[in-house]
Amino acid sequence: MRHQVIIAGLGDTESALEDSRSIPEMVLAAVQTALADAGIDYGAIDSVVTASVDLFDGITASNIAVTEVVGAVMKPETRISADGLAAIAHGACQIWSGAYETVLVVAHAKTSMARYQELTQWAMDPIHVQPLGVDFLTCAGLQARLLAHGDAGADRRWAQIAADRRGRASRPLAPASSVEEILASKPVALPLRQGMCAPMGDGACAIVLRGAATGAQGPVLRGIGYDLEPHALGDRDLTHWHGLERALQRACKTAELQRAYAHFDFAEPSCLFAHEEELFTAAVKLREDTEISADGGLLAACVPVVAGMSRLATATRQLRGAEDGGRRALVHGTWGPVAQGQVVAILEGTPL
Amino acid sequence: MRPAAIIGTGQTDHGRCRDDVSQPELIREAANRALADADISPADVDAVVLANMEMFEGRALPELWVGEGAFANRKPCLKVATGGTSGTSSCIAGFHQAASGLFDVVLVIGFEKHSEGHTQTGMALTDPFWDRGVASGALGNFALSISQYMAERGVTREQAARVAVKSRRNAAMNPHAHLKDANATIEDVMSSRVLAHPVRLMDMCPQSDGAAAIVIASAEHAAKLCSRPAWIKAAATRHEQPYIGDIDRRLLTMRTLRDAAQSVYARTGIREPLKQLDVAEIYEPVTYAELAWYEVLGFCAEGEAGRLIEDGITEMGGELPVNPSGGVLCANPVGATGVIRVAEAAAQILRRAGAHQIDGARTALATGYGVYAWADALILGSTP
Amino acid sequence: MNERISVDVEMRQSWRYASGAAMERFCEGLRNKRIEALRCEGCGRRYLPPRPFCGNCHLHLSHWVPVAQEGVLEAWTVVCLPFLDGRTGTVRNGPYGMGLVRLDGADTTLNHYLAETDPSRLAVGLRVRAAWRDDLRGAIDDILHFEVMQ
Repeated sequence: MRHQVIIAGLGDTESALEDSRSIPEMVLAAVQTALADAGIDYGAIDSVVTASVDLFDGITASNIAVTEVVGAVMKPETRISADGLAAIAHGACQIWSGAYETVLVVAHAKTSMARYQELTQWAMDPIHVQPLGVDFLTCAGLQARLLAHGDAGADRRWAQIAADRRGRASRPLAPASSVEEILASKPVALPLRQGMCAPMGDGACAIVLRGAATGAQGPVLRGIGYDLEPHALGDRDLTHWHGLERALQRACKTAELQRAYAHFDFAEPSCLFAHEEELFTAAVKLREDTEISADGGLLAACVPVVAGMSRLATATRQLRGAEDGGRRALVHGTWGPVAQGQVVAILEGTPL
Repeated sequence: MRPAAIIGTGQTDHGRCRDDVSQPELIREAANRALADADISPADVDAVVLANMEMFEGRALPELWVGEGAFANRKPCLKVATGGTSGTSSCIAGFHQAASGLFDVVLVIGFEKHSEGHTQTGMALTDPFWDRGVASGALGNFALSISQYMAERGVTREQAARVAVKSRRNAAMNPHAHLKDANATIEDVMSSRVLAHPVRLMDMCPQSDGAAAIVIASAEHAAKLCSRPAWIKAAATRHEQPYIGDIDRRLLTMRTLRDAAQSVYARTGIREPLKQLDVAEIYEPVTYAELAWYEVLGFCAEGEAGRLIEDGITEMGGELPVNPSGGVLCANPVGATGVIRVAEAAAQILRRAGAHQIDGARTALATGYGVYAWADALILGSTP
Repeated sequence: MNERISVDVEMRQSWRYASGAAMERFCEGLRNKRIEALRCEGCGRRYLPPRPFCGNCHLHLSHWVPVAQEGVLEAWTVVCLPFLDGRTGTVRNGPYGMGLVRLDGADTTLNHYLAETDPSRLAVGLRVRAAWRDDLRGAIDDILHFEVMQ
C-alpha cells in the first residue's frame, strides 16, 4: 500500500515581467507563504526538492542561490533540472518510498535576467540543430505550421484561445486583447504571432507535500507520470502529444484509475503557445464540462521551470474552493522544445 | 523505507578527451555496459535518472539531447544536478524512485565531457555577488582549507603524497581509470608542479571525459534478476551554506559529511567503521581531503589520518581499503564521479570489481562531495 | 578511419543579477569604506558578506553591526595558475595570494585576495588589513586586497 501524499501548503510570488528582488528574496517569500499555509515551520521539513536551470540563472549549481532560504542547510536537498512539476514527482517518490514524510518542493526562474529565448538554443542538439540558430520558439513555429497546414481556421481558433485565457486572468503579463488584435500582432515564428505565445516573466513557487500519516489536510496527489520524447523533431510526430498520453497512462496507473473512465473536473495544462491547448485536450480526451485554465494559465503569465508547479498551485486552490470537496484535477507541465518532456499529476479533493 | 538494490554497473573508459564519441554515445557506452552487467535489456528499464553539471559543457537541460543515449526516449527521465554530489545524489534519487513502487527498474547515469566545454568558466560562474569577483575555483578554495587543516592537525605534504601514490597504484588495476601509474612515488608527487600552495599537480583530481551507470531494482525485482544484489541499506544527503566563508574550518569540521555518515552508520548498526566496513569509495577531490575525510568519517580519531595512511591501513591489503578504484584523483568526469563511487562500491559487493576486488566485501561505504561542503553518504550491503 | 569532425559553437551570454536589499546597503557602505555585517538574532552570528536570511536559524537578518577593516588571516594560499574572473571573463594571472579573513567584529570569513605572494611570509593567524582602491564604486572590489600588518 502506497503512502498517501497530501498537498499540504502552497505559496507563490505574483508573476512579474521583472521582479526586482534577488532570487533568494523572491524564493523566500514563496517558501514562507507555503510553510504558513501548511501550518509548519522549517523544522518539520525532512527533505527539499528544488527545480532550477543553471543556464537560465547564469549560476553553476544554481540551487546555491536558494540553499539557505529553502531550509536545506544540514538537510537533504535534491535539485531537478526540469519543469517544477517533475520536481513534485520526485518529491512524491521520496514520500512513497518511506524515506521522508514532509518534502518542500521549490522552483524559481527569472527570465528578465538574460535573453531567455536565446538561451533555449543551448538545449538543442549542438551538432545538427543548434548551429542553425534553432530555439524553442522556432520549434513551436514549425509545429504550428504543420498543424495549420490544410486547416484554414487554425490561427483564428488559436487567437480565440489566447484571447480567452488572457481575458480571464486578473494580472496577465501581456495585455488582454481581442482576436483581431492577436491576429494582427507581431509575427514571431509564423503562423505563431506574439499574441499566441505565453508572456514570460519572473517568479517562484513552493509546495509542501506531506504523507497522510502526518495528519496533514488538503488535496491528495493520487497519481503522477512523466515522459521524455525523442529530441530530433524529425523523430517525432509533431501533430500529437504522445508523450503526454504516455505520462497520463502512467499517472492513471499510479492512481489506480482506469484511463478510459478517468474524468477530470479541472484541468490545468501548461500551454506555452495557443495551439498547444488543442494538443492537450486531444491527448487527454477531456470531456466538455472540464474547466480548463481557471486563472488563464500560462498564456496569461508564464515563468519557465515554475510553470507546472504554478498549475499545481492553481488546481489546489480550485479543489480547496470546490463546494463538495470531492473533485478531481489534472495538472500538467512540460519542458524542452515542443514539449519534449511531459509530466502530469492527478489531484483529488477530500470529499466533505 | 522500502528496500532496493543495485544489480549492475557500467563505466566508460574515462580519459582526458574522448573525441571518438559524442555525448550521447559516451552515455550509451556506460548504459550498455550496465545493462549487460545486470543482464537486462533497455526495454526492462522503467525510468532513467541522469546526472551532469551542464555549465561545464555550456548546455541547458542536457537530458533533452543526450536522453536517447541513455535509452530514455519515451520513458520517464529526470536530471539531477547538485555540483559535485550530482552523481551520488542521482543514485539516491534512483534509489528513492525504485523504492517508491512507481518503478521496478531505474537506470542512473552520470556523465561529463569536460573536453567539450570550458570547465573554468563553469567553475567561475559561482555566487555573483561576492564569490565571483574573488573566486579561484575548487583548486584555490581547497588550498585555503588545507592551510587550516595542516596548521591545526599537523598533516604533512608527504602524508598527502602517500594518498596520491596509493590512488595511482590502485588505478593501475582499474581498466576504467583516467590516470594510472603502478610505479608512482612520493617524490614524484612532491616534485610535481605547485598549482596553489601547498597543492601540487598530483595532489589534485583531473578533469575527465566519462560516464558511469548503475541499475537499481525494487526488492522483488532485485531478488529475481540478480543472485547477489548490492542492497542500498541507507542513504543520506546534507547541504550546507553555500558561501565558503560561512563554513568554519571546512576540512576539519565538515559537519555535513560527518552528520550524513553518522546517519547511515546509525541505521546500519555501524559503530566502528574501520572494523565494520569492508571497503570505502569516498569522494576525495584532493589528497588532503581524503585524509580529512578519514577523520570526519570516523575511520580514525582527529589528527590520526596521517598515521592511517602511513601505516597502510587504507591500502588494498589494509584493514579498510579506501578507493580501490583509484578514486577521484584518478578519474573525475564530475557528473559521473559520484556515480562511479556508488558503482565501484556496488561492484565490490557484486564481486565484479576484477583486479581491484576486495575479497569477501560485504559492507561498503560510498560518499559524495560538492559545492563547498555538500555531502552524500550511502551504505551498501550483501543482504537486504 | 574517417577524419574526426567537431562542431564549434561559441557562447556569449550575459546575465543581470538583482543583488537584494542587504547587498545594496553593504555596497553603499563600501563606497564610504564602511564595512557592515548582519547579525542573526537567533545564534548571534555576524554574517559577512551580509545576506537576508540565516540558514541555520531560519530567521530574517536585519540587525546591522559595524566591522573593522582589519582582522585575522584564517586560511591562505598562493594560486599559481591563471584564473577567470567570472564577472568579466578576463583572466587573472598567477601567482596571487588568496585568504579567508575574519575581520574584527564578524564571525564569518571573507574570501579575498592577499597582496603577499611569498608563501614563506604567510601563515594562519597573521593580522591583515583591507587596502582600498582610489576610485570607490560601491562594489565588492572596492577592497583591492588584504595586506599583512607589521
